[in-house]
Amino acid sequence: MDNILEVENIEKRYGDLVANRDVNLAVRQGEIHAVMGENGAGKSTLMAILFGMIRPSAGTVRLRGKPVQFASTLDAISARIGMVHQAFKLFPSLTVWENIVFGAEPVRGALLDRKAARERVAALARTHHLDVDPDAVVGKLPIGMQQRVEILKALYRDAEILILDEPTAVLAPAERDGLLKIMRELAASGKTLLFVTHKLNEVMAVSDRVTVMRRGEVTDRMVTADTTAAAIIRAMTGREVSHEVVKPATARGRPLLEIDRLMVGNAAKPALDAVSFAVHAGEIVGIAGVAGNGQAELVDAVTGRRVIDGGTLTIAGTRANDLSLRERRGLGMAIVPEDRHDVGSVAGMPAYVNMSMGKHRAPPLSRRGLIDRAAMRRHAETLIQRFGVAIQGPDTRVGTLSGGNLQKLIVAREFDHQAPVLLVEQPTRGVDVGAIEYIHRVLVDERSAGRAVLLISSELPELLALCDRILVLYEGRIVRELAASQTDEKEIGFYMAGGKGA
Amino acid sequence: MTMATGRPAQIWISLRRPAITGAVGIVVAVLVLALSGVDPLRALSALVYGSLAPANIADTLNWAVPLVGMTLVAAVPLRAGIINLGGDGQMVVGALAAALTAIYLPVPGPLALVLALLAGAMAGSMLALLAAWGETRFGVPLLISSLLLGYPAAGVASYLVSGPLGDLGSGLAQTAQLPLDARLPLLAGVNGGVVLIVLLCVLVIFIDRRTVFGLETQVRGENRLFASYVGINAPLQTLRLMGFAGAIAGSVGAILVLGAFYRFIDGALLSPGYTWSGLMAALVGRGEPIASVLAGFFFAALQTGGFAMQRETSVPRVFTTMMQAVIVLVLTLRFGGRSGRHD
Repeated sequence: MDNILEVENIEKRYGDLVANRDVNLAVRQGEIHAVMGENGAGKSTLMAILFGMIRPSAGTVRLRGKPVQFASTLDAISARIGMVHQAFKLFPSLTVWENIVFGAEPVRGALLDRKAARERVAALARTHHLDVDPDAVVGKLPIGMQQRVEILKALYRDAEILILDEPTAVLAPAERDGLLKIMRELAASGKTLLFVTHKLNEVMAVSDRVTVMRRGEVTDRMVTADTTAAAIIRAMTGREVSHEVVKPATARGRPLLEIDRLMVGNAAKPALDAVSFAVHAGEIVGIAGVAGNGQAELVDAVTGRRVIDGGTLTIAGTRANDLSLRERRGLGMAIVPEDRHDVGSVAGMPAYVNMSMGKHRAPPLSRRGLIDRAAMRRHAETLIQRFGVAIQGPDTRVGTLSGGNLQKLIVAREFDHQAPVLLVEQPTRGVDVGAIEYIHRVLVDERSAGRAVLLISSELPELLALCDRILVLYEGRIVRELAASQTDEKEIGFYMAGGKGA
Repeated sequence: MTMATGRPAQIWISLRRPAITGAVGIVVAVLVLALSGVDPLRALSALVYGSLAPANIADTLNWAVPLVGMTLVAAVPLRAGIINLGGDGQMVVGALAAALTAIYLPVPGPLALVLALLAGAMAGSMLALLAAWGETRFGVPLLISSLLLGYPAAGVASYLVSGPLGDLGSGLAQTAQLPLDARLPLLAGVNGGVVLIVLLCVLVIFIDRRTVFGLETQVRGENRLFASYVGINAPLQTLRLMGFAGAIAGSVGAILVLGAFYRFIDGALLSPGYTWSGLMAALVGRGEPIASVLAGFFFAALQTGGFAMQRETSVPRVFTTMMQAVIVLVLTLRFGGRSGRHD
């Protein structure tokens, strides 16, 4: 097999920052080639270079043996490279076929040939077993289907090399399995796939070879069949990372977060339908479910973003239905939000402000309404040290931090409240392996310290590793409670898909 | 391969915005003046002399008192991302309340003066609070409620002074003159209210830099979602900021009545457009008080110089309004900012 794509000594600098240094990559025709690395390792930069979005500072890209230079993505597309971005680039109000042919429409005279366009799209979908209705409106399709539209868009433009940038980050487990199957079929039909990810199990399941990056450089190249997950992690992080979470035995204490017949939404089709559960001191309770089955509404109801239409919410023994978020926090609740950029932090302000918020109204950070910036800086420094946040100092603006570091900063701020109730949403989404290990460890520490932790995660392995109990949400109801030690991904997935228990 | 250049590059980045703005401003000014057949050097020196020469600095300060005041009116809420378009109305009700208090309240002059200032601040604050309450209670966007409440407020004031409370003898829409002992003294030819405006600037800067309230305001301005997530009570914050801004606007109206016109004259407060110049200055400073106040003072000097230029040359005063607009446009351009990020 020949190399269809070769990258030689690619370098990309932004001022002092080196995003890619001396990167070499060889991709064979018809293989699934995984590119792995933690956040900030330079994977996305490399892909952006390959797809003509940015130009390298030095180095050569060879396509089918010939050196190429892309001035724009159009050049990359005409060189038969396609890319499926993490955030889809689709028109939600247009149909599937309109989205696919957009910009390369079949014409008859000066007019769009709708019939030909529809047929071509349908035929393309059939050949690649990408089952999707050409006339469906894209905005109404589930995420997994929208991703197929993106793939078809690239195939319609005769892409031979498909770049998939973190394609599984947004998918439910069943959709993810579907995508992995599609990837295998595409490779079998001769397409070459570049699979950018930091999820190990997917790389092990689907890829032929792996190139691992760290800090802008390639640290290792491996044949998947001959390597192990541990070896890949070592190459990604430069050290041994334990994937095992050790959970010491704790005594379950009194209930700290109680939710009783909670209703949210209109009576005809409630978003949450009589949801009842309690989280006790010293346990981690997980919420599993395909996105859109009520998790967001549950979080909104607990944090007060949404009005509770029925039932009661009790935080640390006090009814909290009608309290503001500030009052609820006052009862003893800390929150690690799903969206750490837009909700969990303020990018344009220094770390010490970000880390002081929530504690800034009381001594030592302020007295009689006057803030003490020196005390805030000291507070931030202490937390930065204790939680190992990689940041220059308390005055650094947090917008520059990588996903993992920003998450550590948020976790540091919230856990420092020592609140009895912790609401933790997607704590490791888009976070690198090292930070995942760390965040998991501190979550378990909080459990040992007697906190009641409610964990909402789309990562089933995470739920299985951390939780004591897992509740499965389906269409706004808790359809099943499972003991984490006695269940597996398959069983949880069955209930997530609406399966009925025996 | 170009190597990164470190510190000099950093300094250039922080200076390039003002530098480019200055350069563009001067080029546009020279071009416009030359095109209209005036000697640019003569016109611009008339402008600078007319605003900053020792003989003319009092004019500039008199213009700056209301303009810088109205800059604070816009900047205080803007720091939290709130746009207050109601400055005109808040200033007018403050001015009218101050005039009526000083004229009709049967107390000794100096006490009437103090009460008139307080009445002005209260009246402006109430109107601003009404607009803010419209948003926090009924969801009317503040942008709309603050702007629209200004028109009836100015209209009612206009009606009152042209009828029931007017100085009927004068035949103009204005109140009677203030008693002599209820007026703000002139300080070297400058409206005595300048002291109050300076104190207000210091107060606003202090609140911004040193208080919990100021910090929470900045956090809200940077990221609304984050502010509510960490438990900042947004409606209460809106009411406080708008109440404060309205009080400043009312004080500006009161200062103009008590220290410049010595009566409430319909339209005299609004025609110079202090509110809108102040809003522009606040936008230039993005609500940050020191930058906004400096911009407000600069605009006051520019406009005052414009009067002198109009007298000395054939260039109309509108020229300075144009310059102001050019400066705001250039300053609010985004210079080569890289949006989005990789990895």
